[in-house]
Amino acid sequence: MVRLDLSKMNSREANNKVRELIKTEDEIEVVGTHSIHNFATGLIGQGRILLRGSTGFYTGGFMEGPTLEIEGNTGWYTGDNMMAGEIIVHMNTGSNAAPSMVGGNLVIKGNSGSRCGFGMKGGNLIVCGSVGRWSGGMTLGGRIVVLGEVGKGLGESMYKGIIHSLDPDLEEKIGGNVTIVPIEDNEKKELEKLFKQYDIEQGVDDFRSVIPQVSGRHEYVIYKPTHKKVV
Amino acid sequence: MSKEEKIPKVKDVQRGVWNAENVSKVRYMAAMGKHRIRGCGTPRKFPNFDDLVMLPSQLSRMSIDTYREDCKTQTVLGSRFAKEPLVIETPVMISGMSYGALSKECKTALAKATDIVGTSINNGEGGLLPEERDNSYKQVIQITPSRMGFSLRNIEAADAIEIICGIGAKPGLSGHLMGCKITEEIAKFRQLPQGIDLHSHPRHGDIFGADDMVLKIKQLRDLTDGKVPIFLKIAAGRVWEDVKIAAKTMVDGIVIDGAEGGTGAAPAVAADNLGIPSMPALVQAVKSLEDMGVKEEMSVILSGGVKDGADLAKALALGADAVALGTGVMVAMGCAVCLRCHEGKCAFGIGTQDPERRARLDVEKAAQQVANYIQAMTIEAVILAKAAGKTKLCNLEREDVRSLTLEACAMTGIPLVGSNYTFSDDKFGFFGPTI
Repeated sequence: MVRLDLSKMNSREANNKVRELIKTEDEIEVVGTHSIHNFATGLIGQGRILLRGSTGFYTGGFMEGPTLEIEGNTGWYTGDNMMAGEIIVHMNTGSNAAPSMVGGNLVIKGNSGSRCGFGMKGGNLIVCGSVGRWSGGMTLGGRIVVLGEVGKGLGESMYKGIIHSLDPDLEEKIGGNVTIVPIEDNEKKELEKLFKQYDIEQGVDDFRSVIPQVSGRHEYVIYKPTHKKVV
Repeated sequence: MSKEEKIPKVKDVQRGVWNAENVSKVRYMAAMGKHRIRGCGTPRKFPNFDDLVMLPSQLSRMSIDTYREDCKTQTVLGSRFAKEPLVIETPVMISGMSYGALSKECKTALAKATDIVGTSINNGEGGLLPEERDNSYKQVIQITPSRMGFSLRNIEAADAIEIICGIGAKPGLSGHLMGCKITEEIAKFRQLPQGIDLHSHPRHGDIFGADDMVLKIKQLRDLTDGKVPIFLKIAAGRVWEDVKIAAKTMVDGIVIDGAEGGTGAAPAVAADNLGIPSMPALVQAVKSLEDMGVKEEMSVILSGGVKDGADLAKALALGADAVALGTGVMVAMGCAVCLRCHEGKCAFGIGTQDPERRARLDVEKAAQQVANYIQAMTIEAVILAKAAGKTKLCNLEREDVRSLTLEACAMTGIPLVGSNYTFSDDKFGFFGPTI
């Protein structure tokens, strides 16, 4: 394992260095992260990068192939537009994790903020803790799995994709144009496989799924009167 | 027919506010309980470049021979930070229009046209059609909030990147693509269910506000090794403030989309009432950049309602570096501007996904017509520029134009014809009242 110290590098320098290293190294240990933004942007390769600290915004954006393991927290937009590979965050992320993600796996061992998985198009987003409001909104594909509580407006206007949740109050928390259905057997098997891959101790039987209503048109309520009609 | 029968009845007279259009609108609202959707943007008349005239050279300046002397049209955009700016042969670009709103044949023809004249095409919201990339001279990749059909592969194909904040036809609103246009092929391309009405989101999932935009721009620079110019497209609204913020995000240029801009589908109330027209928007954008001292380094591209070489010349004179065409190029290939793009039944094979209608568009002919239009438009601008004594189109300046109306004078700070006076205040006026 080769060691890379980012403490005196800006993001451009850090990215250039890690791109160079991943061509020859299987494992890279990164120290001095100082919550660096834009780390591993568009990184292509097959190695494993272990970050001994936290990162800032846009960690692993557009990344394609490597495994990025972060011991600390990450900021907003973790894994934005990610193409392939995996990001494992051992603590928490900021809001908007995995926006427009195309493929790969983003695993958050802690909690995530609002709007996680917004506009996701593929891949898997697994949050072991809870997520904030409007998560899974406008998704075009992929799978979101939340082990903890979900915020309100879950899956608002999903076009494609699926959300698996254990939240007992799901009915009160889903957004518009989605529906709750039981988890299917093949989906359970896929979840078991993912949980095993990332050492997540959780059964799969109690999950329920949130899916888009794909027939007809999305309905939006713009006018919301609250008055009582005089009969 | 008797004399009495020839006289129009009172019922046939248009009654002010309650004209046929408004009566139809109210009846639609009464029947449907919702807003009306319309294609092509607004039919409203706004103050525009026709309210300006250009000044010819006579004794105070020497004109350039229209037919025998050169006037350079090559345009370089995005050289503020990008290592490889966008170089095009004319300051006329083709603006972002999606595959989905437009047919594959139309997108292919537009791309071919850019190769004929040496300019750029913008892929728009619906992903990058291989036929577009293969045939285009320079490819601008639009980053839209929905990211439909967008991936790292698109960025790799980009000669320039345009991050879109809004469009002039429906600023503050998101993209609309009616279900009738989401065929099996479009659905696959955009990852959407077939036949569903698409209402995308107005905000980017990975850019919440200007501070994050700064980091996003850095990310895109990292991703492209700083080679590709990055533009930010904003709908004309609070132009003064928005342009200053945009400049601080460290983009290479700004695309200003005025309220005349077209679209495949928009709520009519938004198209008609949101945003300000292109001409005053351009004036504010340029002044804003001048105040910041970055006008020379930042490119300004104007879109929305630009129709001919006179508009191009006047836009350049007011400070634009290029213009981008949408509706104009579609008209060049046959569009009748019927305002019904959203219905997906375009008889000319342009704004439709119906195979039978698509087959009506002759791709090669349409490409040549669009190329001819852009070429003719550039020539028109060159004629005016040479008459104004310029050997480069980009040398056109505010001093070369005058306002025909008080309204244009007040908006642009360009003096009224027959006087050297402006009716604008010191902050907006380009010429002091004592000139």
